[in-house]
Order: sequence, then C-alpha cells, then structure tokens
Amino acid sequence: MATQQKVEEKVDVVIAGAGASGGTFAAVLAKAGKKVVLIDHGPDWQASDLISSDTWGRRIKPAGPPFILEGKQVAPIGYHGGWGVGGAALHWFANVPRLLPNDFKIKSEHNRAHDWPIAYEDVAPWYDKVAHDIGISGDAKAEELWRPAGRDYPMPPMKTFKNGEVWLKGFAANNIRMVPAAVAMNSTDFKGRPACIYDGWCHVGCPIGALANPLVTYLGEARAAGAEVRAWSTVTRVLTDASGKKATGVEYFDRDGEKHIQPASVVICASWAAQNPRLLLNSSTDKHPNGLANSSGLVGKFIMTHITAVTNAMFDDDLEPARGTIGGQFMSYERYSKTAHKGAFGSTLFAVGAAAKVSGLTGIHNSRPDLFGAELATFMKRAVRGYTRYTAACEEQPKIENRVELVSQKDEFGMPLARITHNYDDNEMALWTANLDEGMKIGRATDAKEVWQVRTAMPAIHLMGGTIMGTNAGNSVVNSFGQAHEVPNLYVAGPGIFPTSGASNPTYTLFALSLRAAENLASNWSTIAG
Amino acid sequence: MDALERRVFLKGATMGLLAFTVGGAEILMTPGEARARAVPFRTLNADEAETLQALGETLLPGAREAGVAHFIDQQVSVTPGEALLEARIVNVKPPYINFYRAAIAGIDKAATARSGKRFAALNATEQHDFIDALRQNKIEGWQGPPAGQVYFVLRSDTVDVMYGTMEGYESLGVPYMAHIEPDKRW
Repeated sequence: MATQQKVEEKVDVVIAGAGASGGTFAAVLAKAGKKVVLIDHGPDWQASDLISSDTWGRRIKPAGPPFILEGKQVAPIGYHGGWGVGGAALHWFANVPRLLPNDFKIKSEHNRAHDWPIAYEDVAPWYDKVAHDIGISGDAKAEELWRPAGRDYPMPPMKTFKNGEVWLKGFAANNIRMVPAAVAMNSTDFKGRPACIYDGWCHVGCPIGALANPLVTYLGEARAAGAEVRAWSTVTRVLTDASGKKATGVEYFDRDGEKHIQPASVVICASWAAQNPRLLLNSSTDKHPNGLANSSGLVGKFIMTHITAVTNAMFDDDLEPARGTIGGQFMSYERYSKTAHKGAFGSTLFAVGAAAKVSGLTGIHNSRPDLFGAELATFMKRAVRGYTRYTAACEEQPKIENRVELVSQKDEFGMPLARITHNYDDNEMALWTANLDEGMKIGRATDAKEVWQVRTAMPAIHLMGGTIMGTNAGNSVVNSFGQAHEVPNLYVAGPGIFPTSGASNPTYTLFALSLRAAENLASNWSTIAG
Repeated sequence: MDALERRVFLKGATMGLLAFTVGGAEILMTPGEARARAVPFRTLNADEAETLQALGETLLPGAREAGVAHFIDQQVSVTPGEALLEARIVNVKPPYINFYRAAIAGIDKAATARSGKRFAALNATEQHDFIDALRQNKIEGWQGPPAGQVYFVLRSDTVDVMYGTMEGYESLGVPYMAHIEPDKRW
C-alpha cells in the first residue's frame, strides 16, 4: 500500500456512498450549484449490467463485507447490502409503504423505545414529493383507511396477477382490508422511463428503468447536474479540524491502494446503517476519543431490523408465480397498531403477491428447505405453477445491545473491521409467532391445497439504526436532518438515523428524510458549511 | 467493459455460460459442457471434485451431469468480487475455496467415520441419509463449517446449476422472461 497521500481540490460536498440516500443529497446539492463528489467502494454499475438472473444478480451485492456477524439472528448484510454505485437500492424491492403517525411517538404513547424528534406531519410532504420525483404507483386514497390524506401518487396501481389475487379471499375472511401496494415502479411510462413489463426480475436490478433505482432517479439527476462519482474508492475516515467541531473532508483509498484526502465544506456519510458507524468509530481524534460525534456513546447502538413472517401456499391452479414484480401487489396496515396482537408489541405490515423465481435466496426451493433429491425435483415441478406466498413484516424494538463496534482485525486499507451483534428478544418472538399463527388462518381461508411455514429461524431484513436521531447529543447521534449534534457540517444519511423501525420498508422513508435534509442544507448553506 | 463486451457478456450470463480454461485459452461454455469436455479443474483436486459431484447428485438428480463441480471450481477460482456463489450473500468469508474445502473435508471425514468410506463411495441410500442428517445438524462429531450452512450453500449451488438458467426454466416448463433474450440456447 502506498504511503504517500494525494490531496484533492476542495469541493463543497463529499459523500461517502453513492446509493439511495447519497444520491438524493447529491441531486439536491448539485442542482443548487454545489460541487459534489460521491465516493463509492464498488464498481460504477450501469443499467445494462443488471442481468436477469438470480445467479448473476449476486454480483451487485457485497463480496465478503467487512463485518463479523454475531448473535442468534444475525444482521441482514449479504443479501440486503449493496456493492457499488447505486448501493442496495440497485436491487431493492421498491415497496414503498410509509411509516404511520404512531411510529413517531412510541415513547409518549407506550413508554417504550424512543420518540422521533419529528412527527409524521414533518415527513409527509417529503413522502409526497419523493413520490412525484422518482415515480410511485398505487392508490393513495385507499391508504387513507390508515393514514392522513396526502397527494395522489403520480401513477395508478400496478397490474395484479393470480399469484397475489388468490390471497384476497383469505384476508377478507379474517377481516383484513387490502389495498393496492404502493411501489416505486412504473405502471405507466413516467418521466421518460418505460412502464414495467412484469417479468419479475426486479430483485436483481431493473435494466429498463421501470423500477426507481438510484441510477435512473436522484443519482442520475445528480450526475446530470455535475456531481462526480468516484467508484472503486473506499472512505476510511472523516477528518475534522483541531477544534473537533468542524469536518474538513474525508480520507479514502482508490483501487490501486493510493491514499487520497478529499477536503470539503460538508461531509455526508451515506454508507448504510452498518458502515456509517464503522466509519465514525474509525474517525476518532483527541477531541472525539470514542469515535466522531460519539459523546453519547450511541454511535453503533440500536441496530434494528424487521422480522419476516412468511406464509406459503400451493394451489392447483397455474398461478404463474414468476410473473409480476418483486414488490407486493396488495398491502395492508390493518395490524399496524402497536398493540394489534395480544401479548406482543409492535406493528405489522402485510405485503402480498411478490413474484417468486426458481433459484436464489428468495427462490421457490427455499420455501421447503427440508427437501432435496427426487423430492425436491418433484416439488419444483409442481411449485413453479401452484406456489405463492405472502409476507408479514414485523417491527423490532430498538435495543442498545444490538450494536456495531470495531474489532482488532483490519481490512486491506488498515481500517478495523466491525462486529455487528444482533438478537431478537421474547417480544419479537411473540410478534413473529402471532403473525405466523394468523398466517395459517389466512392461508386456510383461501382455496389453497397446502399451507405451510418455515419456523426454524426468525428471518431478519432491512438494517436500520446505529446512528439514531434525537433531540440532543445526550440521547442520540444526529438531529432529524441527520446532522451530527457535535459536528454541524457532518451529516449521516440513510436508515441508520431511524430511532425506531416501524414495520414499513425503510427506503421510502430514507428518501423522504434525505430530501428533507438536503433541501434544508441547501437553504441554510452558509450557516452550516461556514 | 465496452459496449460490445457487455453485450456478449449479457448473452452469456442468461445462458449460464462461464469462462473455462481449455488449452491455455478461456472459452465460454456451460458447466455441463465443461464436464463433458473434461475441462481440467482449476482449483479443486480430483477427490474434492468427486465428492462435490456426489453431493450435487444427491441434492438434485442430474446435477453431476449438469456440471455442479465445474461450476463451483470455476467460481472459487475467480476473485470474490466476480464470484456468483450463494456463499457470497450468506456471509461466508472469502476466499470461498476455504469454505468448500472445509465443508468437503468435513463431509468425507464424517462419512468415513460413519461408514468407513468417503461420501462418493457410499450407496445412494447412505448418501441420502447422510445429507438428511447434515441438514439437521445431526452428524455426530461434525468438524467443519456449520453443517446447516454447508447444506444450504451446496443445495443452492445445485439449484443454480440445475434450474437457475434458461435451460433450467425450460426443464421446469416455465418461461424465463429475461430482459435481454439470448440468441441461442445451450
């Protein structure tokens, strides 16, 4: 590794991570005339690299991420993480349910977890704005069964297919109202991007741009406005001045191992909920001996996920399970109350009708992990026609013991690896079990010939927390804009700033929070950037 | 990657073609073709390949002929960033050959302890019973990566080779529906 370092020309904004949140900040700030550089550790993927194959789709995911995973239910890193420009949102499922008002005040209403320092009403306008920026299909009016009114989505709901429709009878029998799923996919042509062709390959990346990945939305806009993306470059430290109160830039290593210093007026850490704490903890100085912006000791703490309770079913009809999209066709907040299930605390969100391919982690074969040999072959021939499933996403409550911390082992750049410890508790087990029990009732109320579940492990999805927002440096790492309490020109972006998880897929909320924060930064540039 | 290279690459990807070395040159072919042409293994030794083929065949009949050992051998011979293995996304630490070597060694050691023979030498019933015990973490004295993870990863590799391609979908009688259609089948 080279010992020399190259000092780059100072820019207005440097962003570590060119994914969903980094791209959103970059778009707003580049359009505001700021010189923006995004630094990303992986390849500079193009839409034409997104191959319709579960096998080849693994290329856009991390290869040996720098994390050691511990706990009974390890954090979701490998499948959910991103590698390269576009980040995890290059292969996101594009389900865009919102958080609801009850998510923002759990402490006040239930004396559990945390309140957010903002309310639903503070975020709602940004949800609406994002919907019209990136393109969302759905029925906003129908969602008003459970949430305050807002703007209509720019596109009508997506088409539905038998693999989703067959569940409706079961939900109705259990008094669960379903509405068209809100998805960041095009039901019609939108802003020069084509309508979806419903081939079900969304989860390995949509090369036609019908799904709102960063390349065709904010990140694309950022590049068009002049933002520069440096791929194959790994940020290892955020740098601060002698006072410790101002970020001055970042240190990063390029593909050849050369060290660079990128000075900037504003630094944004947008490297996902796992990597942002690792980066801050590795940026300690004499003024920040326990890691940057960590006087609270909360950097890396309160890592959260969602638990999925999946119900599988087999029908005699040909449901064409591989058709449609990886997003839901229908969704429901009917069990979103924190106390919807007796004896278990937390929200549940239903998503119904995702396409199921024959291989890959979400492949049909993994609905029966016990089968192999001739039995598996027989099952597959039947399941490629009659199989379907639905998912209940369950909220995890924040626990300080679930955390990211540095270890002594180091990566190729000399940066310590991080250990992520993650466990569910009895409450999460109860919520998961309640949803599985209800899932059997729902499944049996359909016309399915078989209904089954895999109850051997609690699957964790969606990584959140680790740099939570709050009202001050004593109870949190950042404020509601993601601005570090102790270093005002340092931002953390992404799902890591959520203080609670709700049960809604996090990407829509991270888009909304990032847009809100970026526009606030642009409006208050001279005060914040100094 | 320039536009022409990318187009050729995309066609190969959906067909399940991988780069194998034949006579010092890299040739795109399927793992099944590589097996049929007796392409030498790059990384696995003969015993390891034999065990993998027997494991694959037990996990899904036809996997041996479909080239499951050549698939894994090719994949553990490229950089982790290029690898397409399920191991990549279930938190196996690269280099991936270490996982496979440890898994194969554990399986052969356990098979020998149970039956006095390596896994490939067991009869079909013994192989089935062994895998059934492996998936349930019921191999006495198991030494290697977690047995359940070994089962999961090897089963996924086998499903990839058997079903995860256009030909695999065709064998199941369902359309593949790629965004970019390849111009020939394999």
